[in-house]
Amino acid sequence: MRIASHCRITPNRCLANGQPVPVQRSERPYLTDLYHSLSMGYPKFFKMDNLCKAGVLAAELVLRGSSVDGLTPRHDVAVVGLNSSSSLDADLQHLQHLHPDSYFPSPAVFVYTLANIVTGEIAIRHKILGESSFYVIPEFSAHQMAKVIATTLSDANINCLLCGWIEVLGQELDVLMMLIDRLNGPAPTAQNINSLYNER
Amino acid sequence: MNELIDKLKQELIEVLNLEEVQPADIDNNAPLFGDDGLGLDSIDALELIVLLEKNYGIKLNDPKEGREIFKNMTTMAEYVSQHRTK
Repeated sequence: MRIASHCRITPNRCLANGQPVPVQRSERPYLTDLYHSLSMGYPKFFKMDNLCKAGVLAAELVLRGSSVDGLTPRHDVAVVGLNSSSSLDADLQHLQHLHPDSYFPSPAVFVYTLANIVTGEIAIRHKILGESSFYVIPEFSAHQMAKVIATTLSDANINCLLCGWIEVLGQELDVLMMLIDRLNGPAPTAQNINSLYNER
Repeated sequence: MNELIDKLKQELIEVLNLEEVQPADIDNNAPLFGDDGLGLDSIDALELIVLLEKNYGIKLNDPKEGREIFKNMTTMAEYVSQHRTK
């Protein structure tokens, strides 16, 4: 088992395997500029809430060049996400549409008021059909992530796992996404995960 | 009618977050849903129903009505011009 690739996204900065990802900045939000820099050609991106945008971009970066090509359906790949704010960012946006004087809830906003939609969006984009789950925990915990990784990969049917801390709330943007596979290498420990999380 | 179609195209692009689509890209008679046209989905259909109510005072009681109304930009504009209350 090994961490095959990883990426880190924070406000105005993105690292893929420790290397800065060049992003042509504009007046648009950072995640939109990052999307354009990656030339993804995935218009659905613009319909997503910020949590999904962050997760989908991070997944794109760690999966590029991997065997998960988005063309072949993969039953042996799992997606697991974690954060502490759940879908609060989208929830607050939804709340703005519920003003008594102008009560027009947006279906497109409402559909993102569940945190696990992000793992679904990643799975759709990359044709991932294995386990998909999302945990809401009090704060970032490398120890918890290491446990989730070990548990998920204890399923012999899973050969590959996308595991990410995806925290988005207002201006806060804190993402660590890892691709873990079964090739020879050290099993990810809390210490390994912490060192990737602390990459700057 | 053309003026209303242009206005609806702008509103549709904005409300559906079609960031990479320009009004001129939308053929007035091309299907809005399905692979042949703009490729809108069921959530987009709900969003269009909200748009009609919010901007034109049109309340669709039966979402199935949307199938004909949202066939293309022309059918949408015709329905709006006939039923708008604001």
